[in-house]
Amino acid sequence: MKRLRELLGTAPSFLWLTAFVLLPVIMIFAIAFKPTLPGGEVGEGWSLDAVKALLDPSYPILLWRTVWVSAVVTALCVAVSLPVAYAMARLSSAWRSRVLLLVIVPFWTNFVIRVFAWQQVLHAQGWLADGLRSIGFLGENDRLLGNAFAVVLVSVYTYLPFGILPLFAAAEKFDFALLDAARDLGAKAFRTFTSVFIPGIRQGIITAIVVIFIPMLGSYVVPDMVGGADSQMIGNKIAQRNFSDRNLPQAAALSAALTLLVMVPMALKRKGERA
Amino acid sequence: MSGHLIFENVTRRFGSFTAVSDVTLEIRRGESFSLLGPSGCGKTTLLRMAAGFDTPDKGRILLNGKDITTLPPDKRPVNTVFQNYALFPHLSVRDNIAFGPKIARRAKAEITREVDRMLELVDLASHADKKPAQLSGGQKQRVAIARALVNKPEVLLLDEPLAALDLKLRQRLLVELDAIHDEVGITFVYVTHDQSEAMSFSDRIAVMNKGGIEQIGLPAEIYETPRSSFVAAFIGDTNFIDGRITEAIDGRFSRCEVDGLGAITIDNDKPVKPGDKVHLSIRPEKLVVSRGEPAAAPTQNAVSGIVEDVIYFGSHTRYWVRCGEWRLCAEVQHRTFLLDETPPTWGDTVWLRWQANDGFLLDQYRAEDEELLTLPEE
Amino acid sequence: MKKSKVPLVVTLGVMVFLYLPILLMVANSFNSARYGSKWQGFSLHWYERLAEREDIILALGTSLKIAAISSVASMVLGTAAALALHRYRSRLQGAHRLMVTVPLVLPDILMGMSLLLLFVAVGVKLSVLTVTFAHITFCLSYVALVVLARLDGFDSTLVEAARDLGASPFQTFIRISLPLLAPGILAGGLLAFTLSIDDYVVTYFVKGPGADTLPTLVYSMIKKSKDLPVINALSSLMLVVTFATVAIAQKILRRQVRAVEN
Repeated sequence: MKRLRELLGTAPSFLWLTAFVLLPVIMIFAIAFKPTLPGGEVGEGWSLDAVKALLDPSYPILLWRTVWVSAVVTALCVAVSLPVAYAMARLSSAWRSRVLLLVIVPFWTNFVIRVFAWQQVLHAQGWLADGLRSIGFLGENDRLLGNAFAVVLVSVYTYLPFGILPLFAAAEKFDFALLDAARDLGAKAFRTFTSVFIPGIRQGIITAIVVIFIPMLGSYVVPDMVGGADSQMIGNKIAQRNFSDRNLPQAAALSAALTLLVMVPMALKRKGERA
Repeated sequence: MSGHLIFENVTRRFGSFTAVSDVTLEIRRGESFSLLGPSGCGKTTLLRMAAGFDTPDKGRILLNGKDITTLPPDKRPVNTVFQNYALFPHLSVRDNIAFGPKIARRAKAEITREVDRMLELVDLASHADKKPAQLSGGQKQRVAIARALVNKPEVLLLDEPLAALDLKLRQRLLVELDAIHDEVGITFVYVTHDQSEAMSFSDRIAVMNKGGIEQIGLPAEIYETPRSSFVAAFIGDTNFIDGRITEAIDGRFSRCEVDGLGAITIDNDKPVKPGDKVHLSIRPEKLVVSRGEPAAAPTQNAVSGIVEDVIYFGSHTRYWVRCGEWRLCAEVQHRTFLLDETPPTWGDTVWLRWQANDGFLLDQYRAEDEELLTLPEE
Repeated sequence: MKKSKVPLVVTLGVMVFLYLPILLMVANSFNSARYGSKWQGFSLHWYERLAEREDIILALGTSLKIAAISSVASMVLGTAAALALHRYRSRLQGAHRLMVTVPLVLPDILMGMSLLLLFVAVGVKLSVLTVTFAHITFCLSYVALVVLARLDGFDSTLVEAARDLGASPFQTFIRISLPLLAPGILAGGLLAFTLSIDDYVVTYFVKGPGADTLPTLVYSMIKKSKDLPVINALSSLMLVVTFATVAIAQKILRRQVRAVEN
């Protein structure tokens, strides 16, 4: 009887999720093994063409770049968020909520629009580029836009709140008296920060890393808007295969590869939680 | 059995842990009955089964002769006052109390009348429109009581209702609870680990330990004639003495040899014969302290010893006296102005005397129960 | 003992970093220059152009419609999911929890791609309907997350008390559980609404040639490099509206809190 009640209570969301989460993910792996027709439609039967296309020599570089850029962005976000979270946690309660609000407000502008704003700032003939050229930071032919630099910068901008929030949540629960104790024993400020504070908010750091790294792997909009041909990431390739090349099986195969790639940090996080 | 609320061979297990073990209990109509025991003894589990939040693995629960064992809580004419009050935070005091009657679809006029009556009973009429968050602990407790009583249940179950309150408030509310019980007259079943609460409030007490009932009786019976060392030690304090019966004395008394103390006379609370090993419980207040040797009397016992510890409590003093190989605790009430006297102090030799009748033979003794006593370490 | 100023300095720097592009964008919306790289005088020109853009207003309407339906549907489904996950512990719930978590961790592009493949395989035409299905799916997870957090702090003795006073399980749910969970459910719904309005990638993949939502329209405008400064004007307006909404919501909340205290 209790079993029946459980089934009835779980059914609505379970069925919905099966249809719109489980099945779609299965589809990624299924359609990767289907042939493609000239018109862009998916053919009957099975074929290994799309999977074999993954062996294209340009793909390893693509994969490497995706992982590398994601890692750099994650590292930068976490590195910058740490002192911010620290400062926020030490503020008085009133200031804390004000700063928290200030961190979240930029979030309220549309994501695409935020990237667009950066497009304008980094524009080749814009005031920033001109300014940097005049003081010699930037060469005549160098650009701020259309390269990996822009992708990293704008990605960091996008994911910074994702780093600050979990770290701040962990820092709030941190016992700051431990830092005083460390200082009392002779450790200098930086040392206490690295060997007492950072391990103390370990769980928050892990959360921040996962919450930034995994979505970054699937980046599409940022490299598309501010990146160039040499800063393409897997997400761009998937979109290209899908919309430009009209080759769904290849897009699916790439998506399958990305799905497997994303599972690695997720599995590591599970392991880290059990430890 | 003709009781109002009856537990019949009730057993409840949680995995390998037996919370309630074959308990049979008969609670009479209109009495205030306490389930008393340490945490984990099964008293709360028993209460929850009476309320309907849990079902026994074995046995039955009967109310007015009707089997309610598997009846859901909303169908039982039984109401509970919870330890954490469980007041609905989004409803006012009035709406909290009116909840039961509203569910029972009583007429609006009747509901208003009954709720007002309850508010008067618990003296909260001026707080009727407040939310629980605005009330103090004692006020919340009274709302919880009113909310339960307004439904005129057959039995009111109270789960450690005063546990979260401080001492003075607890004492005051206990008196109020007693008054309410007298006024309303329904059966109260009260769960507590506080023995002074149970003793002052109840008509009868069931002392529970490790899932079973150690003893049921009137408070005075429980206190003066404890059946086991657990009951003797859990309620108040006592002295445990063990010895061997050496001879019978005119049927009502016996002579008992206690190693390291000597021979004493005991009352035959249960049938004994020479050679039997017995355990005796003597409450500290029954031991009379004197400096000089008391005059001998037929069924009186007297031993002397050295005072090892003294603790002064204001209205009384406790002495721990080394008599032979035993350490006995005696409690002396100060009935006259203390500063005019010179009470015994550390190192003094004193005599302790008690009548054979003042001690009580235990049916059951377990050495570990001595840990329940609040006597200072040796 | 000197306290290091570094964290505060970094925080200040981060604040500047976060706000600079946005403030520049707002400033530029009043810039009469076409490309906003240099200030050429104050102008409301772009706001006028914005008002003329029927397609933007249409896309806004579509976004709002989808967001409204998605937030309501996900409030129902997400709450149901949270209740089941909170109440039961079984292998079924283990699988259930896993599926609820997936939309929260899966990158947008994989969500979009997988749903697109599903619709293609099943033969469903891509439209506002498929977009709505997609939005409900990820909103469901967020609502479930918020409500589950609320359930964790829920006092279960309140449910027992209601049953004790004669309420059936259904009555208990309606009169006690639901009113107390309502703030959490509404918070989840609000979150779902904002996520739906803001979504680009998933929407882009499953909308087909159908109607545009605001983000997809903005994106195609950017790609076509047409009327770019109008987007600045649009963004500034959206910012003002969001601020106003939150300010009003806070005022209402504060008034409610004060009412309870009196």
